[in-house]
Amino acid sequence: MAAIELYRLMPMFNGAQRRLERFVDEARWFTRETWLGYGLVLPATVMMVGIIIYPTVRALWISFNARSLLSPEQVEWAGVANYQQLFSDSVFWLSLEHTIFLTVGAVVTMYLLGLGLALLLKENLPGMGYFRSLSMVPWVIPPVVIVIIWTWMFQVDYGLVNLILQKFGGPNKSWFGDVGLALPLVTMLRVWKDAPFVAIALMASMQSIPESYYEAAEIDGANAVQQFRYITLPNISYISMIIIVIETIAAFNSFQMIYIATGGGPVNASEVLGTYVYQQAFQEYALGYASAVGAVMLVLLTVFTTVYIYLEDTE
Amino acid sequence: MASETGIPDVTDQRNGIVERFDSWIGEDQSITRALAIYGALALYFVWFLVPVVWLALSTVKSGEIIQANRLIIIPAAEHFTLSNYELVLGNPQFRGMFINSVIIAVSTTALTLVLGTLGAYSLSRFTYPGRYTLLIAFMSTKMLPPALILIPFFLMMYSLSLIDTYLGIVLAHCVRALPLALWLLKGFFDDIPTALDEAARIDGCSHLRVLYHVIIPLALPGIAVAAFYTFVTSWNDFLFVSILSQGSGTQTLPFGLYLFQSANTINWGATITAATLTAVPSIVFFVLIQNYFVEGLESGGMHGT
Repeated sequence: MAAIELYRLMPMFNGAQRRLERFVDEARWFTRETWLGYGLVLPATVMMVGIIIYPTVRALWISFNARSLLSPEQVEWAGVANYQQLFSDSVFWLSLEHTIFLTVGAVVTMYLLGLGLALLLKENLPGMGYFRSLSMVPWVIPPVVIVIIWTWMFQVDYGLVNLILQKFGGPNKSWFGDVGLALPLVTMLRVWKDAPFVAIALMASMQSIPESYYEAAEIDGANAVQQFRYITLPNISYISMIIIVIETIAAFNSFQMIYIATGGGPVNASEVLGTYVYQQAFQEYALGYASAVGAVMLVLLTVFTTVYIYLEDTE
Repeated sequence: MASETGIPDVTDQRNGIVERFDSWIGEDQSITRALAIYGALALYFVWFLVPVVWLALSTVKSGEIIQANRLIIIPAAEHFTLSNYELVLGNPQFRGMFINSVIIAVSTTALTLVLGTLGAYSLSRFTYPGRYTLLIAFMSTKMLPPALILIPFFLMMYSLSLIDTYLGIVLAHCVRALPLALWLLKGFFDDIPTALDEAARIDGCSHLRVLYHVIIPLALPGIAVAAFYTFVTSWNDFLFVSILSQGSGTQTLPFGLYLFQSANTINWGATITAATLTAVPSIVFFVLIQNYFVEGLESGGMHGT
């Protein structure tokens, strides 16, 4: 600032002074705006760094340690021992297999069912507003309640499913306790919860396609399937990519409903990576090993997301 | 409309009915097509709603028919009872958990909206390096496995002595909801023409005043959707409460419900009634904002960029 005062004293620098003043003003305005911009987003960033990023980095570090929840202060460097243990751990491989089954099964099913529902809900028919709202009910219900709803449906002797099946001479059994059915059932719960969200998001995207596209196609003689293929599908491809990424991540990380419904059982029949990490950390107290499993999950998800977005983008 | 002969025009009247019927059904719909659509929707809604309705109906059945091996859909008058609700609502533990849930969900929503609104305004209206990267970084935290974060999260809260406090749980819920809330809000703010806030700026408003007097009033529907999403994230959470809550002082309904259900599988009447009551606030909040919801998905960040 003193420099500017100095220039002002010297008339011969008048032109340069004006230019300099303007430059300083602009720079000051620019930095003030920029700093304000950073300042406004700072609280949220600090929050995310402190409570999500820092713990994640620390978890990756813990995965190279031998550490027990029973004495969390006592830390011992273990190198890659935790990761070596993974290779010989059959439950880990089983959980990985189940996680992939659940993720692929749930995401494909919920996308197809959601797409079908979206095509129905976008129709302009009386009462459709109620259908749109009602379809979201499964999505807003707390996961714990969803599990109670469905265990109640499948309850031996007095669950609705068994009552109806018995009318037709079907079996009366504990469905969640069946080794072959536990994993498909928890997959179904995920689909039940998230298919409505997929449908509403796709419908919102379909509604923003101008009606004139369809009218033009109709004049050109395109049938319903062609209209879907050449107008609807290309226009929902971006939102579909986002939905598939979000839902894959959610399904791969899924933990709550499975833990509450089956706890990973019976005999590991529905054990997935999420429940395995929780079990290792908070029941076996093996924090280091649990973190290693979690780190593997993170790596697999990162690889999937990167490759998927890259493939979709280049198309 | 009477014609020149003084006789009411029959064809006109009939056309009136036909038109009304057509507009009721929708313009280019044939009856068979409409019926096919309703039929397909019915299949979906049997799957979506029958379990929910079955649960709600069961809460008003007396104990002996709740657990009877007979198909009774609507209970007869002598089996109809509200005793399950009396039992659950009269339970001080349930009421305590309900209050905990409300305190935590409301605080989380308030904190997330303040942080999210400021952040979204910055990302929407300022140009500075790293803006886009920041947004991506926020969103990519959704990718971190909750199970992985739990461990260091527990250790961190333990060393900050935030175990068993509202603050610990609120912070955890806030960081789970913040990325998407921020993204939604930014999408809504982007839809407000910058000409409006530039005009206010020229009139001498500071940025915070522009945010408060121009952006927030115009983005209220978006803020309602973000509030709903945050509230539900917090209200429905089981995972973080299960490790951060060691005593009944901070237990929320979903966690309490889990403990109750696993400790007490005999009394289904009380379990399903408590479950129904736990789901009610989320559903009510959704009903209140439902009109904004689809609109929110259409405009809020779901398109390009």
